[in-house]
Amino acid sequence: MMASSTKPNIDLLQIAGLEDLQSLAIIGLSKNAGKTTCLNHIIAAWQESEQKRPLALTSIGRDGESEDILSGYEKPRIYVSAGTLIASAESALQRSDTLLEILDLSGIRTAFGEVVLCRALSDGYVELAGPSVAEEISVIENLIRLHEPECLFIIDGALSRKSQAGSGMSEAVILCVSAESSTDPATLAELTDFALTLLQTKTLQPEQPANSFMDLISEHPEHRVFMLHGNDNSWRSSSLQTPSLVGHGKEIAELLKPDTYFLFLKGAVTDQIVRELLAEPMFTELTLVVEDGTRFFLSPDCLFKLHDRKVDLAVLNPLDVRLVCLNPTCSNGICLEPDEALDQLRDRLTIPVVDLGPRNM
Amino acid sequence: MSPSIIISPQLLEDLGLLKVMEACHCRSPQGNKLKQSVQFFGNADRQALDEELTGIQRLLCLLRMEHPEVSEAQTQLSRLRELRGTLNRLDKASLLNDTEFFELKSALRIFERLGGLTNLLKAAGVEIADTRGAAELLDPAHTGSPAFHVYSQYSPKLEEIREQKKTLEKAIRQATGAQRKTLLTQRALITAQESKEEDAVRRDLGEKLAKWLPQLQHNTNACGILDFRLAKAVLADRWQGCLPTLAPCHEPAILTNAVHPIIADRLEKQDLSFTPISIELHEGATVLSGANMGGKSVALKTVFLALLMTQLGYFPICEALQTPLYNFFAFESSYEGDLHRGLSSFGLEAVQIRNHYRKSQTSQGLILMDEPCRGTNPSEATAIVQALCNTYGKSDSTFFIATHYRVHPEPGIRFYQVRGIDPQALEELPAYLEAPRKAEDQISSPLHGLSGLSFDYLHEDLTRVSRIQKMMDYCLEALDGIHQTPSSAIKIAELLGVDDALLREMKAARQEE
Repeated sequence: MMASSTKPNIDLLQIAGLEDLQSLAIIGLSKNAGKTTCLNHIIAAWQESEQKRPLALTSIGRDGESEDILSGYEKPRIYVSAGTLIASAESALQRSDTLLEILDLSGIRTAFGEVVLCRALSDGYVELAGPSVAEEISVIENLIRLHEPECLFIIDGALSRKSQAGSGMSEAVILCVSAESSTDPATLAELTDFALTLLQTKTLQPEQPANSFMDLISEHPEHRVFMLHGNDNSWRSSSLQTPSLVGHGKEIAELLKPDTYFLFLKGAVTDQIVRELLAEPMFTELTLVVEDGTRFFLSPDCLFKLHDRKVDLAVLNPLDVRLVCLNPTCSNGICLEPDEALDQLRDRLTIPVVDLGPRNM
Repeated sequence: MSPSIIISPQLLEDLGLLKVMEACHCRSPQGNKLKQSVQFFGNADRQALDEELTGIQRLLCLLRMEHPEVSEAQTQLSRLRELRGTLNRLDKASLLNDTEFFELKSALRIFERLGGLTNLLKAAGVEIADTRGAAELLDPAHTGSPAFHVYSQYSPKLEEIREQKKTLEKAIRQATGAQRKTLLTQRALITAQESKEEDAVRRDLGEKLAKWLPQLQHNTNACGILDFRLAKAVLADRWQGCLPTLAPCHEPAILTNAVHPIIADRLEKQDLSFTPISIELHEGATVLSGANMGGKSVALKTVFLALLMTQLGYFPICEALQTPLYNFFAFESSYEGDLHRGLSSFGLEAVQIRNHYRKSQTSQGLILMDEPCRGTNPSEATAIVQALCNTYGKSDSTFFIATHYRVHPEPGIRFYQVRGIDPQALEELPAYLEAPRKAEDQISSPLHGLSGLSFDYLHEDLTRVSRIQKMMDYCLEALDGIHQTPSSAIKIAELLGVDDALLREMKAARQEE
């Protein structure tokens, strides 16, 4: 698809429907999944198609540095066009070579200094080091929109923390996958399919329990566990404050009643916490709810056990995954065959898949 | 906390001063820093305190007129950032980065805006130095934009480098593959030159701005003063604070309808109201007596807080207040501290009595004691309290004590009591009637495991206690030299159904006394 087009980058905008979006998160299935490459393609496409709206970029954590701080392998850098807005920490900006005009200071501190809002006055490389807390992303977006209300706000995730791109932070999501997850095309397709199943978990229905959870979360922001008992006519709620979810499965299960139909867990729902809950007989015939699909860190086996227990999964905020980007390379140099990988992925997935590997650079 | 304020951390918390400071909402880091520094104005600082309070009063007038300069100043102050680090680096001739230049540019814009608020500045008694020359340095293109970057206008060499770079970047946009890589390498070389020249510009700009350092520091401090005074005016407006009158030394402190704002807020949430307190505190000793739960501790805290707020430059929450300026404030309460400190409570009180006395020998202070010697045997305690009153009665400090012990009139000792419950009203309360005990009347203990060790009050009893409590008149009234001990306790016991035989014993014992 991309390889055959004369303007491959512009196709990318159309395939993912980016032109009318307000915000986008790029998340990776693994480390070195190709998020920066994908971002560079979007930037190029935006420039080639002469879009009127500017792009505004930030990241969760650090991105765009020249080499991977963990592995030391060379990484692609982010090359922006003049006019792009950047929200990045002070020391990361000092490593950028674009001429940057400072527009505002966010007051958000990171390990790399305060997050500063700038406009690129020239083309060039930038390093992104945005807020490390997902909630602060909305502060950055608000600040950006004071200067450029109509921009396309793009959040680049750091490492493989797909969880941090959720919570209603962006209108749509691009999932990047690479040979880092598997060098076998069939396995990669299977892993991607499973990841999308979790990411696109259905929204909690009916609306009333979803609204009840929203109210409970805002009333008790420090609580991690909420549940609704009863029926449509009269829900009763209970909640629990725990320092984490893991290690507190028994405590959570003790609050479950025979008429508990919805259990909301705030934070990452991992195999470990699910195993703790499955050990309790009361954890059955209910819907397990999380903020969004990025909160599920479950293995297929664990998901099967949940189905076996008649535990459904649901989210409060659905994720609109627009595109899967394939990077057929791996940081250690091993490559998978891109056409075969594309075929496997397209066979299994209903979402468009594009190859952003070296042959399309 | 200033050494002029002698109070334990626990009592300070209990006093509510920290909550008052929290409620005084400064908008700038400079204002907050000033607030946290807690400046105490003693008698030697009379003029400074007068300026502070007058400034607040004039700002309060503007605030109540809804003068547009007030909200404009608040907006500008909320945009001001902490500048100490940047000014310090400027002073040390360090190479400033673009964020620091942006910070300075923003601050200069704020100074300029605030400088234009002439009515407000005059009212606040604050001057903002003209720093437009410094602002021009940071806007060489005269665009008026609040943004900052190292402008090409600073250096023809920089302008030339950037032109070359721009041409190259245009070519990069069109190039692909190996050609693009070559162009990017060329760009990297130009970027290095650009970076070097930018640093030269930054150094030069820093040197030029350093000449404005005195004005920058003056304005930063002035913003702190303006912000803090404005915040105090807003607080005075919200809590109906008054401009206190600073009386000469040796004059009494006169508080008219003083309110403890934090306790009043708490009571309001329970649909109750705070009874304002009026009192005159002369040099010497003033003894406050009254029934248990009569609000003596609250009265002491209210008086202490109002007078302390005044000498910290806040408007006290009173209808009117006049006060001399004390050189130290001391507050000791036997109700706090002794348990957690795990030491003899009187031992610790004795230390405070010693310290306060010594301090009062050389300095005129305000010393408040809440129920001293509460845990001491009554005979010795009475002697100690009498001795304290006699001694301070002759002192030029002001000693205000709440006590249950009988104090005999002596020169320099004045008496107040909490009005308490009107005996006539108590007489009108219906006599106690035993109600049959029902399970649902019991207030269950939350500690189920210890329920055998606790006891339950009947709902009827709690209601009756609450009803009696509501009859309490917390007003203070001056007594004509006779210190009467409270006498409604036995009547209250009767109204709560204490058995006749026991009541007869109580009344007989009272008469013998």
